[in-house]
Amino acid sequence: MKSITGLTKRLLSATSVIALILLLSSCKKESFNSGIIKEFILQSTANGATYCIKVGLPANYNSSGGKYSTIYVLDGKEIFGYVANKCKEISDKQAVQNVLVVSIGYGKDRSIDYTPTKVSEVTGGAPQFLHFIETQLVLKIEQEYNADTSSAGRVILGHSYGGLFGGYAFAVNNNVFGNYILLSPSFWFDNLVALQMEKDNRGAIKNRKQLVFMGIGEAENAGRMQAPFEAFYQALQNNYSDIKLAKNSEKNLDHLGSRNPNIEKGLNFYFQNR
Amino acid sequence: MKRFIVSLIILSVFVYANSFAQKNIPVIKEKTASLRHLTIEPGIGIHTNFGTDLLFSNLVQWNPKKHISLATHSSFNINNISQRNFNGIKTEYNYSFNQKFGIGTTYYSKRSSNTFLLMAGVKYTSFKEILVSPDYNKVSAGVNAFSPDYGLMYSLKKGVKKHFFSFRMYVPLYPFPVKDINTWALDGNMNNIALEFGVGIKIK
Repeated sequence: MKSITGLTKRLLSATSVIALILLLSSCKKESFNSGIIKEFILQSTANGATYCIKVGLPANYNSSGGKYSTIYVLDGKEIFGYVANKCKEISDKQAVQNVLVVSIGYGKDRSIDYTPTKVSEVTGGAPQFLHFIETQLVLKIEQEYNADTSSAGRVILGHSYGGLFGGYAFAVNNNVFGNYILLSPSFWFDNLVALQMEKDNRGAIKNRKQLVFMGIGEAENAGRMQAPFEAFYQALQNNYSDIKLAKNSEKNLDHLGSRNPNIEKGLNFYFQNR
Repeated sequence: MKRFIVSLIILSVFVYANSFAQKNIPVIKEKTASLRHLTIEPGIGIHTNFGTDLLFSNLVQWNPKKHISLATHSSFNINNISQRNFNGIKTEYNYSFNQKFGIGTTYYSKRSSNTFLLMAGVKYTSFKEILVSPDYNKVSAGVNAFSPDYGLMYSLKKGVKKHFFSFRMYVPLYPFPVKDINTWALDGNMNNIALEFGVGIKIK
């Protein structure tokens, strides 16, 4: 019995250590390892915030050949590496041209930049943020890199509040982007204001050619995500004549867990249908 | 921060239980809790996702040998009980059932016993949301889905009589790391860590 107790103590200690190592070893953010990264800082004239911008160029980037489409990634600090590596993987697999991936870092606060209306001190800066993207960031990218200058060549990818911002951009300034990857979008925000904005602007944009992918986690059951997500999807499906539209509910995964699988599915949809 | 807290919880549970193991085993009759071969432990509890889920559960544990434990755990959960009407979104219903079976070991001390179980089973989740806005009154979204349920359970029985205080903690190992090794998937685990309390009954 004495030896069993000692053995059990050692087993318990070893299991604890293994569990810790497992957790800690999977903590790293994915870094971009399949191309070239250019970085710069850009200050917004609209809200005064400074944004750290990273541009991921394909390894075989050609500055004078055919124009590259560009994916603008919100929460870039968290997911730029993952998105850029996935673009390389998918474009290689489909034997199509890769894209430029632009990571937009955080300015004042993501809650301010990504939300369209002011319901508190840390919300309501989306109009200024979109103005910054349209008038400063996109212009700089398209001046300095071999990027497609049409809206059809621009993609916005956002998750959570970032998905809300993408929906807002779709509704109120449909000229900037022609392709939207909206993941677990916070369409519950401010009494479904994004849904109302889409409805208010629908007449002017419903016949435009565009691509929208929407993703969510099946386990997002906090009473705020699923119904607005479905409402936005149905609004596009029922009213937009020239739209390439798809959605995915990632099985058994919650708000954060479903993000990366939906990024991959969204990018696959974009590359197959652009 | 969340990763740190989860690993701290797991480590703390192991260290706490480890402190009950004794090098020198005392005479069982005089100093340790009596062996309960079969117990039924109904309880109520919460998930650790801000405590918005209410759990009604039952653990049946069989110890064929002193340090070998077999168990079955059943749970009916009313989820998101405090936010059924939010920002024009109404939750019509939101519940889940869990059924798990497990195997593990039990350590005994003076007036309590501590059981560690590896559990596996299935979870069924069903919920439906509708928009109450007149512009969207026909839009609803729902999920009815089965998912695997794996995890570690710790069960404390406090007391030496036929009825005893029962506490248990369940830490899921799904979706992280079984379905997805990416730690972003941990939010699914964190929302389903269960804490349950009740009164157990010794059957045999």
